Amino acid sequence: MQTVHVNGYDMAYLDVGEARGPPLLCVHGSLNDFRIWGCVIGPLTTKHRLICVSLRHFFPEQWDGKGDTYSIAQHTDDVIAFIEKLNAGPVDLMGHSRGGHISFRVAQRRPDLLRRLILAEPGGELDATLDPGYEGGPSPLLARFTISADRIAAGDVDGGLEFFVDTLEGAGRWQRLPALMKQPLRDNATTLIGQVRDGRPAFSKADAESIRMPTLFIGGANTRGLLPKVLNTLAAHVPNSKTAMIPNTTHPMFEQAPQAFSEIVLDFLAG
Amino acid sequence: MHGTLGDFRTWYSVLGPLSRKHRVIAVSLRHFFPEHFDGIATDHYRMAQHVADTIAFIEQITPKPVDLMGHSRGGHIAFRIAQQRPDLVRKVVLAEPGGDLDSSLDPTVTPGAPSALAARMLISVKKVRDGDIDGALQNFVDLIDGDNAWRRLPAAAKQQLRDNIFTLLGQVHEARKPYSKADMQAIRTPTLLIGGADTTGSLSTIWRVMSEHIAGARTAVIPNARHWMFENDPQEFCRVVMEFLAGWKRTISRAAFPLAGGEGSVGVGQA
Repeated sequence: MQTVHVNGYDMAYLDVGEARGPPLLCVHGSLNDFRIWGCVIGPLTTKHRLICVSLRHFFPEQWDGKGDTYSIAQHTDDVIAFIEKLNAGPVDLMGHSRGGHISFRVAQRRPDLLRRLILAEPGGELDATLDPGYEGGPSPLLARFTISADRIAAGDVDGGLEFFVDTLEGAGRWQRLPALMKQPLRDNATTLIGQVRDGRPAFSKADAESIRMPTLFIGGANTRGLLPKVLNTLAAHVPNSKTAMIPNTTHPMFEQAPQAFSEIVLDFLAG
Repeated sequence: MHGTLGDFRTWYSVLGPLSRKHRVIAVSLRHFFPEHFDGIATDHYRMAQHVADTIAFIEQITPKPVDLMGHSRGGHIAFRIAQQRPDLVRKVVLAEPGGDLDSSLDPTVTPGAPSALAARMLISVKKVRDGDIDGALQNFVDLIDGDNAWRRLPAAAKQQLRDNIFTLLGQVHEARKPYSKADMQAIRTPTLLIGGADTTGSLSTIWRVMSEHIAGARTAVIPNARHWMFENDPQEFCRVVMEFLAGWKRTISRAAFPLAGGEGSVGVGQA
């Protein structure tokens, strides 16, 4: 694959579509990699050059789960360095889930590198300035994710993934996943070992208010739990933002409705 | 080499396991995504053109010879390359190669008459011309994988087929020659033929006929799988491919090279 050397490693990416303006840089979420955007690169490349990166330790890297270089801070540094090295001017940045969190942090730290920002159900928590009920400390899900990570580290990849996926999306979900969607998760399973060590900072009101570029939040209308709460709260405090909810979809909304998702993104980037 | 309506993304579900042992190069043939083909100028959508393009592509790769894997129509292309330019190919993997048998292989064939599959493909072509893209895709997918196969496909997989829909307008004029017995007997490259145990129709027949006429051909059947067998069971597919690629002798004894993958398997190779 094509790579750019950033912060001491070769960051892989798929570069597709003709440049007709700023490239759209796409950042995947947990357990995914550059391939997750495969279902939307068709419609999106009718208008844009897309650069779909794989973050450090995700496929095509085959990571052993060792070391402390899997973190929001490291991945944010890597994306910033990637955009600088790409040398294509300010980019449009799109992130999904944990990749949305990273994209948010890039926008906060280096607004000069971005034109527009798209956050598809960004992952993370809200601190006390945004959520009066916030108690701090680790995510309530951390204990369960640690069980997943321990199984994967012990070699039970499918057992660890099943526990992780079912925790997030309900019992039996892993078993029902089509085989072609399970395999990319297996390819990235060791990243869960890093993720349980990743202490990501909660979003604050000041964080949200500091995002000044045109920002689009995209959600799945049927997603439950913390993700829609975070999305709606951030959207209420990011000044120049719009929100689009896609009917009949959940957290992987662009996989479930690639055409609707692409239309929303193309509209936003054209506007 | 992807097949009809595919592109380089066709192989996404097997990139992880295969790239643990091999460098994988997944091409997109002329007119397939990332090209946004409108289906109007179809003069260069020919089987012979895609064969010539791929030969020219391999000639620019180092090191040569390469191992060549093709699915469906891509299997037809890989077969023709092994036939025309055996110097470029070390081993060849044909996953349910597409095409027709001529009268030297099937005495019931009327020379020049379209096959049953080709005739039903014309229904999809008409639907594309009428603007009914999803109707065309449903006819195509259900034709190959059975009724309701389209409806059961994840939306993400549907979109990748949709991105290539206008290639069907070229495919009707592609001038694909049927296989002859002499064609098959001319293949000297070590060959693995892979089928899905539940595939029906001519796609389940052609590779079995090849196994009778290609000297030393190995075979493997993926249980509980159909025409897109590598998406139905990425792990088993990768296991048989990697086992085949790892064998180093040009002619491999049956005992040294067990590919029998369960009760669905057919005979393992014939000298």
